[in-house]
Amino acid sequence: MNETTDTSQVMSFDTMGIQACQRNRYPLLFVDQIVEAVPGKSARGVKCFTYNEWFFPAHFDDEPNVPGFILVECLVQTFIMSFLCIDEYKGKKTNFVSIDNVKFKRKVVPGDRLEVDATLDHFKRGIAKGHAESYIDQELVCQADFVVTIPDVLDGFRPKSSRA
Amino acid sequence: MSNSNKYDTAFIETFQVDAQQLSGLQYQDIKEWDSIGHMQLMSVLEEAFSVELDIDDIIDFSSYEKGKEILSKYGVSMANE
Repeated sequence: MNETTDTSQVMSFDTMGIQACQRNRYPLLFVDQIVEAVPGKSARGVKCFTYNEWFFPAHFDDEPNVPGFILVECLVQTFIMSFLCIDEYKGKKTNFVSIDNVKFKRKVVPGDRLEVDATLDHFKRGIAKGHAESYIDQELVCQADFVVTIPDVLDGFRPKSSRA
Repeated sequence: MSNSNKYDTAFIETFQVDAQQLSGLQYQDIKEWDSIGHMQLMSVLEEAFSVELDIDDIIDFSSYEKGKEILSKYGVSMANE
């Protein structure tokens, strides 16, 4: 069971609202809009790519497309909004624990509008587990399973005594 | 499976250690038992024994032996098995 089970409040966020919830910033903020966030349950995000993105001239000069690690960031930045939209966790930093079952199905190029669906399967004591998929025109682009922590929360459960 | 076996299995599978390493094992003795490993162990134990650990008990759970003492408060006895 997740710590927050009240899913009655559906939220949405523009870019400033997103930045109030999470700590990613230019040039590493990869979600433009959260069209729907159900606290403790799910989030749906949008990222639009134009040729003005900093990485297109380098990846690649003759065939611009979004690097895989950025597609994974798009997934996880929407995913973390499923719990960072909860007042208690707003503005906290997150760390990866694991990324599994990553699959890339198609290229993303300038002009594409990426939609991300993220689901929070389990959230307890600062550890979030879940998965996300991204689409362009309903065609699957990328998917992955995540385990992410909120270090500030995790630290509150650290045993007092240790040899270290 | 006895409670002792379930308890040992939780440590062995979470931290990938041998049974011989368990006696005297303390938080941060091995790199796997860090803050994230600690939370994973708590989740595994909660599921194995169908209990929900209190935050103070999670913080006090600083060793293999101390964990047995804490679980006994939740009716999970490992004595005389």
